[in-house]
Amino acid sequence: MNPGNQNGKTEGQGVAGHGSFFQQTDLSRDEAVQATDWVRKHVDRRTVDLGDRMDDIREHMYELEKEGEIIIHRITDEHEPMMVKTLFGWDKKVPTKQLWHHKSCGQCGNIPGYPTSLMWFMNEFGFVPGKDYLDETDQTSCTAWNYHGSGIGNVESLAAVFLRNFHQAYVSGKQHGFELGHFFPLVHCGTSFGNYKEIRKYLIESAELREKVTKILGKLGRLVDGKLVIPEEIIHYSEWVHVMRNRIASELQKIDVSNIRTTTHVACHYYKMVHEDAVYDPDVLGGNRTAIITSIAQALGAQTIDYSTWYDCCGFGFRHIISEREFTRSFTMDRKIRVAREEANADVMLANDTGCVTTMDKNQWIGKAHDQNFSIPIVADVQFAALACGADPFKIVQLQWHASPCEDLVEKMGISWSEAKKNFQEYLKEVESGNIEYLYNPELAYGGQA
Amino acid sequence: MQQIYDDIRGDFRYDSELNGCLNCGICTATCPSAQFYDYSPREIVQLLWTENVEQIYDAMQEKIWACAQCMTCAARCPFKNSPGGLVAIMREVAIKHEMQSAKDVLRPFGRVMLKLITTGNQLSPDMIQPDHFPDWGPNIQKVEGDLSVLRKAIPVKTLQTVETAWEVSLKTSVEMYTIWEMTGVLKSLELMDENLFDVIEDFIDEKREEYEEWLEEQEDDD
Repeated sequence: MNPGNQNGKTEGQGVAGHGSFFQQTDLSRDEAVQATDWVRKHVDRRTVDLGDRMDDIREHMYELEKEGEIIIHRITDEHEPMMVKTLFGWDKKVPTKQLWHHKSCGQCGNIPGYPTSLMWFMNEFGFVPGKDYLDETDQTSCTAWNYHGSGIGNVESLAAVFLRNFHQAYVSGKQHGFELGHFFPLVHCGTSFGNYKEIRKYLIESAELREKVTKILGKLGRLVDGKLVIPEEIIHYSEWVHVMRNRIASELQKIDVSNIRTTTHVACHYYKMVHEDAVYDPDVLGGNRTAIITSIAQALGAQTIDYSTWYDCCGFGFRHIISEREFTRSFTMDRKIRVAREEANADVMLANDTGCVTTMDKNQWIGKAHDQNFSIPIVADVQFAALACGADPFKIVQLQWHASPCEDLVEKMGISWSEAKKNFQEYLKEVESGNIEYLYNPELAYGGQA
Repeated sequence: MQQIYDDIRGDFRYDSELNGCLNCGICTATCPSAQFYDYSPREIVQLLWTENVEQIYDAMQEKIWACAQCMTCAARCPFKNSPGGLVAIMREVAIKHEMQSAKDVLRPFGRVMLKLITTGNQLSPDMIQPDHFPDWGPNIQKVEGDLSVLRKAIPVKTLQTVETAWEVSLKTSVEMYTIWEMTGVLKSLELMDENLFDVIEDFIDEKREEYEEWLEEQEDDD
């Protein structure tokens, strides 16, 4: 029986999409507000209750430090930090100098233009390699890709890897003639960023986990005064780009990008995992979305265009991109590439994570087999910024590793793709003869051969 | 079957990942996997919430492997549940109990695990070649050339590698193997794929010997 017919109130009045079962509640406006109040308070971040709902894990870290259980790797004035607001309105310090590059396995293996563009910017700002930033061979990947893909691994192993790598970041200053804690870790990968924050939370909450990993770190010789070293903040490279955006635009920008239509895809593990810590800014998309990526596009003067599936993940799936590729490519083509192309008519999609760029960059070609003739260049925020600041598309931005059609974007920015490619091919001959240009020539293997 | 459920419930993350469920379905509405598989994060929460042991076991045979671990569900849940986090626990338990589903699903992932566990890097330049990913098209690199030369043209020395994403020092690798051993990760791998485990064990032994030799050389130099 159609309940709409039962009381005779709603017949013929159903709103499209609700079907014939739609029934008016006849609530007054105040009653309707009251009825949905709980949902709005808990789902709408702008009215989120900051009172008792969420502990700030950093407060518990300071307590543990006072009790002599851990050492906090602090961000000091020497790191020249800038303050930003997080989703919950908390302050977060973002160091701008003396950074320890925590590389990403996917970026370095697959999209090396991320780390090179980032280091290029640091050099352009006059940072001294080895003093103002450090890139070394003494670090592992975070191993979270494997864990999320396979389930092989556990919180204890992820925690031990986190503490091992961040201990190295802490002591690396001393090893290079500075103080302990001189270099602060800058995490390149979105998944590492989310994973490390999650693991830090577990470590602070669980004395049992701390006890277990202390044994492991002790065996590795990676305790300081018998204590675990935990960083005060976990910082993603896009946050560095975010706080440096105005300096990038005012001091380094060489190319007018006001004719470029950009869309944004932010990594899920940046702002959905441990979401209270993600950076929001009321001046960027009204503070309704995380500020990173969009903020650098805005600062450079590019057009920033929204699209309806902004919130969707890329379809990477950790395991899926390797062994369930039909899912990955269907999702990325249907939910991201097609939408960004049809709704936003974007010249480029800017992202900030290995998995996302790989997924959306590499899976466009096969779409043609299903008459999905959509394509769009996929690059990282920092690569786009480097292009706008005059970096070489091949030598620095390393666009030769991308499968998506970056040529059109580069040309639209007024850079000659063919000329840059010709120069690069000439340069490859120099490389073969051993004449290689370096942004940075670090000590390759501290404490063991490479 | 009961033991499997007890192991899931016994994980120290369980209580923070599962608080209750309004059945609002926002997790499933925003779930990428729900659009392509017979998978619903709401179903995972409901199964665990209602303690239906048999159905939980059934879900672990296939459904939990559909989750893309994007954590959109966790970010959206008004009750602060994390269906994706619960799936992570269930996957670990499936491996602990040597469930066939885990073995089947993870077999194609073995090559990546081999790379990760032996080198510390998950993805390396030599893996991203047209032969391995024909569906990525003929144009996955825009410049022709020998891979090692193209890598040498990256202006950062740590990245001029082919078999790893960046150059990793021996000491670092050996420390990582110690972590794998002490935390039971290698044991999990042995349960899942004995052949893969044997290959990895040989590799680790070799690297450790190499490191010992290097240390001895250092002492001799001193």
